[in-house]
Amino acid sequence: MRIRKEWKPWDPSVDFKKVPGTMGVYEIADEQHACIYIGYAGGTSPHGLRGELYRIFGMPPGSETWNWSHPQPDGIAPELRQRARYYRLEENSNAYSRWVECLTRYREDYDDVPELNHDARAPRVPYLGRYHWKSEGI
Amino acid sequence: MDMARSEEQQMIIDTVRKFIREEVRPLEADIDPDGSEVSPEDTERLRQMVKDMGMWQMSVPEQYGGPGIDLVTRTMVAEELTQHKAGLYAPAFGAFGEAPPAHLYDATDEQKEKYLYPAIREEKRHFFGLSEPSGGSDPARAIRTRAVRDGDSWVINGGKLWNSGADTADFGIIYVRTDPTKGRQGITAFIVDTDTPGFKVNRLIQVMRVYHTTELSFTDMRVPHSAILGEEGGGFALANDYLARNRIPYAAECLGIAQYAHELAVEWSKQRVTFGEPLASRQSIQWMLVDNEIDLRTSRWIALDAAAKAERGEPFRFESSMAKLLCTEAASRVIDRSMQIYGGLGMSKDMPFERWYREIRIRRIGEGTSEIQRVVMARDLLNVRSGS
Repeated sequence: MRIRKEWKPWDPSVDFKKVPGTMGVYEIADEQHACIYIGYAGGTSPHGLRGELYRIFGMPPGSETWNWSHPQPDGIAPELRQRARYYRLEENSNAYSRWVECLTRYREDYDDVPELNHDARAPRVPYLGRYHWKSEGI
Repeated sequence: MDMARSEEQQMIIDTVRKFIREEVRPLEADIDPDGSEVSPEDTERLRQMVKDMGMWQMSVPEQYGGPGIDLVTRTMVAEELTQHKAGLYAPAFGAFGEAPPAHLYDATDEQKEKYLYPAIREEKRHFFGLSEPSGGSDPARAIRTRAVRDGDSWVINGGKLWNSGADTADFGIIYVRTDPTKGRQGITAFIVDTDTPGFKVNRLIQVMRVYHTTELSFTDMRVPHSAILGEEGGGFALANDYLARNRIPYAAECLGIAQYAHELAVEWSKQRVTFGEPLASRQSIQWMLVDNEIDLRTSRWIALDAAAKAERGEPFRFESSMAKLLCTEAASRVIDRSMQIYGGLGMSKDMPFERWYREIRIRRIGEGTSEIQRVVMARDLLNVRSGS
């Protein structure tokens, strides 16, 4: 199952403190609302989903600086930081397995994982084989 | 002792129960498996309904604009509020409002203006900072964060651990050692703004439910002398009182999800047929359900007894510890049995049991472990028996 939410822009409407600091999965889209990356915030993520999105987008425009240890964007592809415009997320304690599930679902629908998930740290995404089906509306 | 509900209490319980079943539970179909929030529109709609019911911020005294509902009734309500999937840690999705820390009612007028009234209006959020990396169960010895007087201000260095909500709070009440020679009398409570230079959220610590606590550091954090809450050196007594009072609703909340789990298990056992008979016809299942009922009824009485003693102004530390211990452990057993009765479905995310199973486990550690509750009770018990 995909993340069943609308894309949200990373703009001044984002209340940064309300972005969950919890574990979970997120999807990033470009200007055309095409998903370009699926990531997750696991148990050792220093600031959860909030920190992961900060690493990609930076602080929302217009937000104040804040008394926290800003996580560094190490390991985030520069292309992702340049093209990222929209996000959606799901809080989930099973962040890693849900991440693999989202990647699997995406590949079933589009025959490949999102383009910026092609890197050495990508997980082994299983094929659904005889259970293959595409999401509605694809 | 008459533990029957008054007519007014029964009316409140019925109202809250209907609200949870008809307004809150249906919203859970659309939230994340571990989500704790509904849409802003639904949140506002629920809050307005609660305000219309006259139950907004139940614990806020009437003189501060709240309904001032007594602790016994609030304990009964706490069990009702948590009877939904996200209920244990997001009762009614926050529709009943967040109350300020009770100690602020005894704060100075200046502190009330700056923290209490904005907290009641929900303009400012707070956190409670007691535990440190050196420990949390023995604050008299474990607190190493140090405040040193410098003219009319104090300079604080150190850090805190396991502070819920500190990353989004506007202020916190932190317990700091101001006199290293005085043991528990050397601990003082300070109210600190989270934008004070030197205050830093180092990281969020993920736990077994979808939530995080925080690790904080204070580096040369300067606060005015007027930031002291209560008396200098009186922080330990404040923290103890806070913890003892908090244990009662904390305990009752656990019973809510356990009661809901039990009701689901009873229904399922009547519906589910195996080997040609419903589960409810099996003695092994009947015993599990009866054990659930015994756990729920006995722990509910203990929680209400603790609340009644606190309300009457009698010593209640022993009773609040016993309630916390019994309710958290009984609720854990009830959820475990109910999940077992559901079989495979019980461990799927289609049902709430797996979430409750993880969340209720935390309750045997949070707000003082089961073992610490026994230590607290043993101290009281032995003091009494030794005639001291």
